[in-house]
Amino acid sequence: MAINRTSPKKGKIIDIPTVPTIGAATAGAGSASVAFTPATVGGPAFSYTALSNPGSITGTGTTSPVTVSGLTSGTSYTFTVRGTNPSGNSEYTSASNSVVPVVATDFESIATVTVGGGGAAYAEFTSIPGTFTHLQIRGIHRNTPTTPGAFYAIKYQYNGDTGSNYTYHYIVGTGSAANAFAGTSQSDGWAGVCTSDGITASVYSAGVIDILDYANTNKYKTMRLLNGTDANGSGEAFFMSSLWMSTSAITSIKLYPNTGNWKQYSQFALYGIKEA
Amino acid sequence: MAITYEPIATTTLGSATATVTFSSISGSYTDLVLVTNPLGSAGNYDLGIRLNSDTGNNYSWTSLRFNSDDSGSPISDRASNTNYVAMKTNISTTIPFPSIIQIQNYSNSTTNKSLLARSPRGDYAVSAIVGLWRNTSAVTSVSISLFGGGSANLAVNSTFTLYGIASA
Repeated sequence: MAINRTSPKKGKIIDIPTVPTIGAATAGAGSASVAFTPATVGGPAFSYTALSNPGSITGTGTTSPVTVSGLTSGTSYTFTVRGTNPSGNSEYTSASNSVVPVVATDFESIATVTVGGGGAAYAEFTSIPGTFTHLQIRGIHRNTPTTPGAFYAIKYQYNGDTGSNYTYHYIVGTGSAANAFAGTSQSDGWAGVCTSDGITASVYSAGVIDILDYANTNKYKTMRLLNGTDANGSGEAFFMSSLWMSTSAITSIKLYPNTGNWKQYSQFALYGIKEA
Repeated sequence: MAITYEPIATTTLGSATATVTFSSISGSYTDLVLVTNPLGSAGNYDLGIRLNSDTGNNYSWTSLRFNSDDSGSPISDRASNTNYVAMKTNISTTIPFPSIIQIQNYSNSTTNKSLLARSPRGDYAVSAIVGLWRNTSAVTSVSISLFGGGSANLAVNSTFTLYGIASA
């Protein structure tokens, strides 16, 4: 029941808010978003408070939804909401659905290169911020070589360095044999195998590249890679590590096929990983 | 920059189950990552992945692995026109066979879908697998089962978590 009271600020009599209607709660990273519908009768609510159970942790806002932060990831919570104005508080709503906040990860998207219809000689990330601990490049790739019908190599350069400052070791499974290779004093790095025109249409290689401690200025830079192509009867699975013999922080990365261009729909996404 | 690596769903088996399926997967991410830690009756099985419940012979895979059953050297093999992407396991009721399976650009409708997987088991094997699903449809469900050796089930306490990664 609404009760008339006098607002202490304006001397105007308003009702305390009527209880809102609870909506859906949605889990976030160490938080939850709690939706509700304001009451259409009674006094206006100037703010809304969502209350967690367990923990009695609150979040406040003026519109729906309200975010409740500081929740424990992996714990199941429900929420109730009440409205507030200078005359007082409404009752709390009934409990929301239960949600389990997720772990707050430090894996952030920096930039993505998607190759358009004209193809591209390379994909490049520049002005990479030094604010992360590690970098990861994820993608799918295919190239358009002069002589189609084979698997080609993915190459990379850091900071535009074309000197003989790269080394690598890799082990590759061809489907019939496992082979290992190494190279020293290379003028660019190797980053796995790439599907080309002439191999089953619409088949793209996939790869995940980790570049560790990329922003330090006192160590050489190590990359590790899982990459491969399967084309239903041909292909390679590829494990690699490589080294860039420079103590400079990595601020740009260029990825290109060893011949030809990247084909349309090839995509490279750069992520930053932060350690606590 | 937004946090972009998010858990979508997690399953811990309370009883033996033939197949675990993550369905109604949103297309709002760029890649999917499935982290599995399965248990099962002891034996050599394939931990098999199917997409969109496709049971046709539309899969293939190439592996690179080294395990205790091989003669001191890593091997590579492949299979074509299979009805799932296989990761060779030596599973047991107590020692899981953890695998991380990456499904790249899963929601595009222009390319076949490539999978990358690595499956270490510290006391037995290490392996990498690249798989292919010859279909350009967006992936909306991922299923995991044990194949080979009869009616193998994924055992109680097996865990499966699906993550989504969104790019800028």
